[in-house]
Amino acid sequence: MITRIITVIGFVIVIGAIGSLELVARRPTNKIPTIGQWLGYLMRGRAGRVLILLGWLWLGWHYFAR
Amino acid sequence: MSADEAGQWQPARSGRWPDSERTRRRLRRLAIGAGLAGYCWVAGGTAPFSAKALLSVLLPGAVVAVIAYGRGPERIQPPDSLDITGFSYWIVVLGALFEWEASAFRDNSASWHPSLTKLVDPLIAPHPVKSLAFLLWLLAGWGLVRR
Repeated sequence: MITRIITVIGFVIVIGAIGSLELVARRPTNKIPTIGQWLGYLMRGRAGRVLILLGWLWLGWHYFAR
Repeated sequence: MSADEAGQWQPARSGRWPDSERTRRRLRRLAIGAGLAGYCWVAGGTAPFSAKALLSVLLPGAVVAVIAYGRGPERIQPPDSLDITGFSYWIVVLGALFEWEASAFRDNSASWHPSLTKLVDPLIAPHPVKSLAFLLWLLAGWGLVRR
């Protein structure tokens, strides 16, 4: 049971870090890119665009179709 | 198209749309919102591993593919470069997420070390929550095709 709690805490910490990083990145004087900025950068080329959109589709299939 | 006709489709000099155009845009947004909400409600009610559930995901996927391949909406200009130090924070955090998920997947024990999927699935099981999650997924897709 304790390992399950540790696992959940681990996920909460990591997801919290992602949210915090996005908040910090939105501050105007910061050099950290926002999620939208780095995704946009990766999606400039066709290959990056296709891969990111396939990732989005996989996410939908993974959580909503199965 | 005459100058008068063209004027109907552009904001007036004050920066505001004419009343008729504003109403039309509002109605269009309402119709799209209602359509999306209805679609998400139906998709959120499909049984897992069913053909309907698969179709409910593939259909928006096909729409997004068509939009992304063809002439999409006005795109948000991506940055010309990324600050490597700033981006490295994202790599560390996302790497930690994938590592934690991969170790859960490797252990293959839902009770001891559950994967993110095993933790999220019961949270989004109620129909309204699943529909809301589906809507967020669709909005994320729309956000991506604008990039």
